[in-house]
Amino acid sequence: MEYAIEIKNLSKSFSSKKAVDDISCKIEKGQLFSMLGVNGAGKTTTIRLITGLSKPTGGDVLVYGKSVNSQMEEIKPLLNLSPQENAAAGALTVWENLVFMARLYGFSKADAEKRARKLVEDFSMESELNTKAKTLSGGWQRRLSIAMALVTDPKILFLDEPTLGLDVLARRELWTVIRSLKGKVTIVLTTHYMEEAEALSDRIAVMTKGKIRAEGTLDELLSATGAPNLEEAFIKIAEEDKNNV
Amino acid sequence: MSDRVMIFSQRNLKELMRDPLSYIFCIGFPVVMLIVMTAVNESIPPQAGMTVFQIQNLSGGIAVFGLSFVMLFTCMTVSKDRSGAFLRRLYASPLKGAEYVSGYTLPVMVIAAVQTVITAAASVVIGIFQDYTFDFVGLICGMLMLIPIAVMFIGLGLLFGTIFNEKAAPGLCSIIISLAAFLGGEWMDIEAMGGTIKKICDILPFYNGVKAMRFCVAGEFSEAVTPLLITAVYAAAVFVLAAVCFSKKMKSDIR
Repeated sequence: MEYAIEIKNLSKSFSSKKAVDDISCKIEKGQLFSMLGVNGAGKTTTIRLITGLSKPTGGDVLVYGKSVNSQMEEIKPLLNLSPQENAAAGALTVWENLVFMARLYGFSKADAEKRARKLVEDFSMESELNTKAKTLSGGWQRRLSIAMALVTDPKILFLDEPTLGLDVLARRELWTVIRSLKGKVTIVLTTHYMEEAEALSDRIAVMTKGKIRAEGTLDELLSATGAPNLEEAFIKIAEEDKNNV
Repeated sequence: MSDRVMIFSQRNLKELMRDPLSYIFCIGFPVVMLIVMTAVNESIPPQAGMTVFQIQNLSGGIAVFGLSFVMLFTCMTVSKDRSGAFLRRLYASPLKGAEYVSGYTLPVMVIAAVQTVITAAASVVIGIFQDYTFDFVGLICGMLMLIPIAVMFIGLGLLFGTIFNEKAAPGLCSIIISLAAFLGGEWMDIEAMGGTIKKICDILPFYNGVKAMRFCVAGEFSEAVTPLLITAVYAAAVFVLAAVCFSKKMKSDIR
């Protein structure tokens, strides 16, 4: 099986603190893989390491067989991310942000506009097309952020806490958007919302203190812990880790 | 120049053009200052021998003063991008280190050029009312003499925007703007003052930038060479420092 991402003994330390501690896992193509953990578990750092926004202090990650340590420039066009914070150009409209991002990744003006049009349609953003990014609501900003990542036609999409701070309705709308992407692109999603991981994921990795404590499908995690739902399973895994310390 | 630089430059130009303050400070303010200081000049009796506010001298001073606001806008664009997640998102894109620096510099160079042309045009119009006719060759040469000082101000903007955060960086630019105004000979006759203040002004780039344009406007082209060289050295040093700092900061951000 060819994997989209192979994480091999990946570590990242800041001074004496280990933010990511010797983690390994494989993510299949087209899968939605969730990293679940509380704040400070190492989820965002892991994404930063895979996307080249941070350099590993140990181990490696292979993205479509290419190493983040030595082939990052070749990896960059293959992936894109939607960060936790709003990351659009504030004074540019929704349309301009989409075209800008596509062109930055090498698409011609005509192709960039074609891709932007498709995403506007897919994400139902017609009503906000000429709205400046800085004046969009939180839900629309996240939607734009994900669309900006997808407009570059990445093979892998990283969504870092995509629904953080959104109200229930906006969150559910964004889930629908994310579900619609499943199978079309490999998605790595970080979240500390249990119901989000439960609703969206093909596979889930539970992270605490920089380590992956458990990994599998929802059913595998539930049967391994004997818990009735993911929240209980997560608590059991986290407490088991505490007892081992 | 790569397509990515042009695409990033276009984005930065749009961001600048959509900020009304860009028009007020970069375009409107120099013109208003030309008009106000010409009015002040009207009130100065000829016996005072004060020539600094005469339009042929004022144009160079205001042009350099106006360029200091381009520094402020460069700095605000860079520091604002750095404070949010936008720039970090771009770090994951194929855009490379030197392309960021070029992408920030090109649009503000365009604004600096437009500002200088407007200042020169306004000076010519005011000159008509003041019975002074500008020599066009001298005026165009004078405008070209401002290229190094424009590059230096843009470099300072890049440098402050890179090193300091969104709140501190504009404050530091304001200090430089004040320094440029006082030590640029825009509001006082440095030559008449002489002494230590003249020595300081002769060493720093601001007064040299003003002098380079004034000499050209006066048709004394050979006199403009030394001030031009001094501003060029400052421009090269500041810009290289800014580019190195940006590149280092980018590397430390993705360490």
